[in-house]
Amino acid sequence: MSRPAFRRAALCATAAATAMLVALPALAQEVTVTFWGSYGNGGNSTQQDALNNTLIPAFEAANPGVKVQYVDVPYDSLLQKLTTSAAGGELPDLVRADLGWVPQFAALGVLVPLSDVMPDFEELAAATYPGVLATNLYKGKYYGLPLDTNTRVLVTSQEALDAAGLSAPPVTFDEFKAMAAALDGTEISVFADSGLGGWNIFPWLWSGGGEITDPELTKATGYLDSAENVATVQMLVELYQAGQIPNLIIGNQGATGTSDGLPSLEYATILDGPWMAGIWGEQYPDFTPIYAPVPAGPGGSISVVGGEDIVLTTSAENQDAALEFIRFTQSEQFQIEMAKTGQMVVIPAFAEAQAEVSPFFAPFSEQLLSAKSRLAISSGSQIDGILNGALVPAFEGQVSVQDALTSAATQIDALLAAE
Amino acid sequence: MHDRIRHLRSAVPPRTRWRSYLAPALFITPGFALFLVTVIYPMVQAFQISLYDWQIVAGAVSTFIGFDNYARAFNDERFWLALSNSGLYMLFTVPPQVVLGLGVAMLLKDKSPAQPLFRVLYYLPVVTSWVVVSLLFRYLFADRGLINFALDDLLQLTDGKISWLSGRWTALVAICALGVWKGVGWSMMIFLAALQGVPRDLEEAAIIDGASRWQRFLVVTLPAIWPAMIFVVIMLVIGGFNVFASVMVMTGGGPAGQTEVLLTYMYRQAFEYLDFGYGSAIAVILTVLVFLLSAAQLRLFRDPAAGDAR
Repeated sequence: MSRPAFRRAALCATAAATAMLVALPALAQEVTVTFWGSYGNGGNSTQQDALNNTLIPAFEAANPGVKVQYVDVPYDSLLQKLTTSAAGGELPDLVRADLGWVPQFAALGVLVPLSDVMPDFEELAAATYPGVLATNLYKGKYYGLPLDTNTRVLVTSQEALDAAGLSAPPVTFDEFKAMAAALDGTEISVFADSGLGGWNIFPWLWSGGGEITDPELTKATGYLDSAENVATVQMLVELYQAGQIPNLIIGNQGATGTSDGLPSLEYATILDGPWMAGIWGEQYPDFTPIYAPVPAGPGGSISVVGGEDIVLTTSAENQDAALEFIRFTQSEQFQIEMAKTGQMVVIPAFAEAQAEVSPFFAPFSEQLLSAKSRLAISSGSQIDGILNGALVPAFEGQVSVQDALTSAATQIDALLAAE
Repeated sequence: MHDRIRHLRSAVPPRTRWRSYLAPALFITPGFALFLVTVIYPMVQAFQISLYDWQIVAGAVSTFIGFDNYARAFNDERFWLALSNSGLYMLFTVPPQVVLGLGVAMLLKDKSPAQPLFRVLYYLPVVTSWVVVSLLFRYLFADRGLINFALDDLLQLTDGKISWLSGRWTALVAICALGVWKGVGWSMMIFLAALQGVPRDLEEAAIIDGASRWQRFLVVTLPAIWPAMIFVVIMLVIGGFNVFASVMVMTGGGPAGQTEVLLTYMYRQAFEYLDFGYGSAIAVILTVLVFLLSAAQLRLFRDPAAGDAR
């Protein structure tokens, strides 16, 4: 090799080495955190837009070298996608999981207990609503942090109240029954719901003064089939048999859905969550829903906690970056930006800021103060099937309400024993 | 004759005989490998899972429980309900698809200008997505759907208040109606192809002998398309037991599991309750059942005239 050629080669090698030295750290630092959720459910793009266009860029700017890739999965197929991905060990780093799924996946061993790996977990957890945080607890460990929350309240319309001759929504079970009596003979059903699962029926049971299980989650017999619960379900069954609750509640897929039936005055009242405002705003711009607390029975007005938690999976390769994003979701910036799109904050300290951006959340915030969460057990998804299977024959008059609830309690006992 | 073949065979040197197997084997191998990997392997795996209290997560320990999942199925009322619904679906959809499919094929077998159009129209439902047409039928059979409107306002047969999807029997009517509507085109296509093979000379001879249309159909057409008939019936019976998407979309197995069929029940056990062992056991039971039914049909339909040739 001639001298100049040698020098040229040496120069090239040095340049290449320098370039690599500069590039390597950048390559090593560039990590991607994948995040699955169903923010876009029901064709709602505002929440996805807030996440993709505002929040994720803000997080990436504050954490150079970390990229967050959000993948939207329709709610109905998310559980199946998570299941098959768990089997293949191909889960994303973070999941926005329905709070009912957390114990189920924790039991599978695919979630990282945040209370073990996050040094600041207790501080973050203490800031959230206790009822919502509780949905992350499974066998003494917390597997997630609340991401957003919601609950169901009674929704009605001025037209329905006028038809029943009422000046305000029914406040108690008795007023609710009086409303039914007033609507008797009209084409309007007093109340409609789309099933008899826990999400549907628990608000009635709790408000009626009943419980589902003992506080330690070991027994449903003696609780689910109590006299209070029998009386509450009997009230609904009588209304159903009188034709004042449509057969949508026993699972008739051909009946008008609650979201259409209320604005079209087919149904006078429904129980529903804060997301409906956006849906009606698009589909029924002239409809003005009236929100009120769940009618109070002997147990008060008690609704059911809904929402989503953020969980870290064992497939996560970049745990630190993922944990940093979890911290970001608990910030005022994240929570308030999402509140603007219809997601309720999970941190009471931000409630005031939320009331400023979305005053319509007020009745939901009020209801959340007393709302309870469903059973945090790994077989929670089977509870809805058991309740539907037991209660439908009671609504159709084939078995007594007492027998139906006793049968459901016995089946739930078996699930609790297997935990 | 046989002796001569044996003699000829032994005359062929072994090397050449081996070579004569090579070409067919080469042709079969890719397909067979694909079959092994995509059909046999998952089946064996499913059977294996069905013997365990299966944990889906890789690395988790599954407990071997023998045939407990099978015993559980046989003692499970919901399993029997689902099985009977699948069976009913098969019984109520196979005969109409065969009869209507053959009828339409007979009408469309002769050349006419409109014939291609009708073939396409009848075949269109077959190629459309199950989910799309199931949603369509769900709206048709809704409480305020077109079917109720037609029965009440147009035909005045009922008061238009049948809640089709809220009861086991009415919902099965709707689901079966969809199955027949979607399936007729497929059996029509098979029969159309088979009808091309009916010997013209036999038909003409029958005409000369004074056979009526119906007699010609029974004596000439039907025997000529018999193999196609066996194929259609067996495939439809298998398809009938595999009903899934329409039930999932139209009723979701509801109300209270009354319209659950075997595959929706299996799906629920596996993907909703994560009980893959039990789900696999149901799948294996279904496979065995369908296999036995197909074998029985093959025996039953065997054309005596053809002897053991088939």
